[in-house]
Amino acid sequence: MSLPTKRSATATTSSSSASATANFPPMKKAKSQAVSACSPLDPSCNKNGIHHFSSAATADNDVVFDPSSMTLDDDPKLQDRSPPAAANLSRKKATPPQPAKKLVIKLVKAKPTLPANFEEDTWAKLQSAIKAIFLKQPDSCDLEKLYQAVNDLCLHKMGSNLYQRIEKECESHIYAVLQSLVGQSPDLVVFLSLVERCWQDLCDQMLMIRGIALYLDRTYVKQTPNVRSLWDMGLQLFRKHLALSPEVEHKTVTGIYAESFERPFLDCTSEFYAAEGMKYMQHSDVPDYLKHVEIRLHEEHERCLLYLDASTRKPLIATAERQLLERHISAILDKGFMMLMDGHRIADLKRMYSLFLRVNALESLRQALSSYIRRTGQGIVMDDEKDKDMVSSLLEFKASLDTIWEESFSKNEAFCNTIKDAFEHLINLRQNRPAELIAKFLDEKLRAGNKGTSEEELEGTLDKVLVLFRFIQGKDVFEAFYKKDLAKRLLLGKSASIDAEKSMISKLKTECGSQFTNKLEGMFKDIELSKEINESFKQSSQARTKLPSGIEMSVHVLTTGYWPTYPPMDVRLPHELNVYQDIFKEFYLSKYSGRRLMWQNSLGHCVLKAEFPKGKKELAVSLFQTVVLMLFNDAQKLSFQDIKDATGIEDKELRRTLQSLACGKVRVLRKVNAIQMKETVEENTSTTERVFQDRQYQVDAAIVRIMKTRKVLSHTLLITELFQQLKFPIKPADLKKRIESLIDREYLERDKNNPQIYNYLA
Amino acid sequence: MRRSAARKTGQSNSTAPITSSATDLFRSASSKASSKEMERIDNLFYSYANRSSGLIDPEGIENLCSDMEVDHTDVRILMLAWKMKAEKQGYFTVEEWRRGLKALRADTVNKLKKALPELEKEVKRPSNFVDFYSYSFRYCLTEEKQKSIDIESICQLLDLVLGSHFRAQVDYFIEYLKIQNDYKVINMDQWMGFYHFCTEISFPDLSNYDPELAWPLILDNFVEWMQEKRT
Repeated sequence: MSLPTKRSATATTSSSSASATANFPPMKKAKSQAVSACSPLDPSCNKNGIHHFSSAATADNDVVFDPSSMTLDDDPKLQDRSPPAAANLSRKKATPPQPAKKLVIKLVKAKPTLPANFEEDTWAKLQSAIKAIFLKQPDSCDLEKLYQAVNDLCLHKMGSNLYQRIEKECESHIYAVLQSLVGQSPDLVVFLSLVERCWQDLCDQMLMIRGIALYLDRTYVKQTPNVRSLWDMGLQLFRKHLALSPEVEHKTVTGIYAESFERPFLDCTSEFYAAEGMKYMQHSDVPDYLKHVEIRLHEEHERCLLYLDASTRKPLIATAERQLLERHISAILDKGFMMLMDGHRIADLKRMYSLFLRVNALESLRQALSSYIRRTGQGIVMDDEKDKDMVSSLLEFKASLDTIWEESFSKNEAFCNTIKDAFEHLINLRQNRPAELIAKFLDEKLRAGNKGTSEEELEGTLDKVLVLFRFIQGKDVFEAFYKKDLAKRLLLGKSASIDAEKSMISKLKTECGSQFTNKLEGMFKDIELSKEINESFKQSSQARTKLPSGIEMSVHVLTTGYWPTYPPMDVRLPHELNVYQDIFKEFYLSKYSGRRLMWQNSLGHCVLKAEFPKGKKELAVSLFQTVVLMLFNDAQKLSFQDIKDATGIEDKELRRTLQSLACGKVRVLRKVNAIQMKETVEENTSTTERVFQDRQYQVDAAIVRIMKTRKVLSHTLLITELFQQLKFPIKPADLKKRIESLIDREYLERDKNNPQIYNYLA
Repeated sequence: MRRSAARKTGQSNSTAPITSSATDLFRSASSKASSKEMERIDNLFYSYANRSSGLIDPEGIENLCSDMEVDHTDVRILMLAWKMKAEKQGYFTVEEWRRGLKALRADTVNKLKKALPELEKEVKRPSNFVDFYSYSFRYCLTEEKQKSIDIESICQLLDLVLGSHFRAQVDYFIEYLKIQNDYKVINMDQWMGFYHFCTEISFPDLSNYDPELAWPLILDNFVEWMQEKRT
């Protein structure tokens, strides 16, 4: 269209507007065309005649035409009912042209409002979509639209509501899913696979939901503090409901942790330690191995504290213990126990004890201890050649065991009993000899010449020996030997200390009762009494008047019952000695009537003053030696037979005496006196035999005693009684022998009707 | 105080009781019979007895045995001695002889011989056997104050007396007695013990033997020996 510029003279004041208005008429057409182009049928127009622009511009700034300012024939209001455009044009011709109206653009104040149920409707769409996702069903709405829906809601500040609703929706579904797991499959593996499936599904679902509500996630969630992202929300809800359903949770956790992690972990641990255990056992010695085990256990413990679940600690430690310790208990004991015990390795043994304690293997340890003691003890006791040292070895052994028990085995009572039992067993393996050796050991300790042992030390030794004594079953053998040695000591004046002797007696008394020590105490009394007698003898008239001069004599008067029996030995004494004996006898019998004195020549000893070419010497010799030597006062050379005839000493004894005198230099004579102190082998065997004989009498006496009281008694009861009464060990077969002997001698008989019963025969 | 006519003929004993004639007859008949029997028994005795000692001695017994056609080591002779309660082995006194034969109702060798099977049965009766068994031990104690019998003789005696009843036990025990050294003689207690052993203990398994009971020690040793033999 061309604009006519010449008409401007009439409307110059409002040039601009005029020009605007001047320009209008042609535009009118355009406008009307434009206006008319907007028909009510146009779907892009809403009722308000506003074009809805799909742009991001805000609604507020839209430029709008105010149709009331337009000189238009067409009234938009009329457009509703207006006829088609063509009709307008035709009508326009009829009416006169109106004055040009101004077109004013005004901003609309009112905000565009959403449709009333916008939120609900939108949410409804979303909800059905979410439901469909969770139920794995298809939904009518496509994702684009859903996305748009979320956008809309967010744009209209309905984000928080949306979030809450989504949350609620998800929650209800998650809850439902987890509930469905309750009561499912007790088998953990199957259950776990169910749980896994749910979990996978949930992940997928949450992803989808998040995809739809991405806008929400990126805007509202980001902007609002304390609101989790949708993904996290989903996790949170899952966790929450898992916790609410303990069964499911437990199963899952147990399942997962226990099955998927813990078990393989423990298996691996087990394998590892199994292999390690084998390797180390082969390569290292026991103490090192134990140290290593200790370290490993500590490590595992630490591991649990640091990064494993506490519930794993127990099985883990147990696994380690099992592989490293339990499987190797016997190997450890076989390989190293003896060595550790022999070597007195306190620390290592302590470690072994504490480790074994953890795996309940103390019983094996105890048994190993028992066999060790028995074996070692047997070696000490049964070795003939080492008899001399048996007692001291045993004392050492016991002391060592006691220390180990205290320090390594933490004074375990069962172990204490094991030691006792084992000792009792080993000491009695060899009948009688240990008892004899203990007596001998004591003899050495109590004899004079033990310089350097203080009184306390001696007491300590005596106590320790007493412990050994306690284990011995045949205590009467001990008594016989002890008595013999004591007699020698007392008679020859060889006791180191009477106090020590008496202390020993009282210890024995406490241990075995007074009956045991009666005789021994009697021996002491005799010695004391003898001293008195000697004193009064010296004072007596007989002594002063009748004794041959140059001889000093003292006499020990022994009460027969208390002292060991000595075989009587005859000897032809030198005249002086005979006189002396007679005088004393006279004196004694004058004091104590009704007694019989018998001289024990084998026990006599003398101190001879001898003149040798080199000078005078004093010889401490036995009576027999004296007698022999005195012969040489009158002769230079004497044959064996001569001596025998002259002295009247019995053959064997004579040989012994001569041997002691002749085989060695003069000086040796002093030492030779020790022959009296030495025991011959024969003496020992006869002592032992006497003890056995004695035992037989005791058994017989016991049987008779019991039967006399009971009159009638069954065999088994009799045996039981005998075992209770007899203090020494005896076999049932030996008891039977004695019973049969008594039947033979008609002290008892078998009952005619029941051969198991004995009757006493008065 | 009139006496019966019968009385007048016979007895001058005025204190004789008045009895019925039947009993009297019986008594006299049985006494006659028994006295007849006794007479025969006595006669039999003296046919074997030694003139000077008045006892049947071993030689006489041998003769008797050959007449009876029984070996003199036969157990039946021992049974006879038991029946007689003979005290000394190898000798019978007249009282013993009378006792035995009267009980067996035999007054001739033939009758005696025929009485033997019955005697055997009698002895084997459990109530009698123990008595016979212990008698047989005592019978062998020849010396004064002898209490035990040597192993050799015991073995023979065991065989004789128990062999037929407890063959296995006797054989094994005899074997054991010969090789063991603990005992040189056996006494009555052990002898009787063995009999109880045979009757009570299952053989040869010995499963119910308990050495803790009052069995004589020699049997404990025997059982131990048997058990060792078996392994």
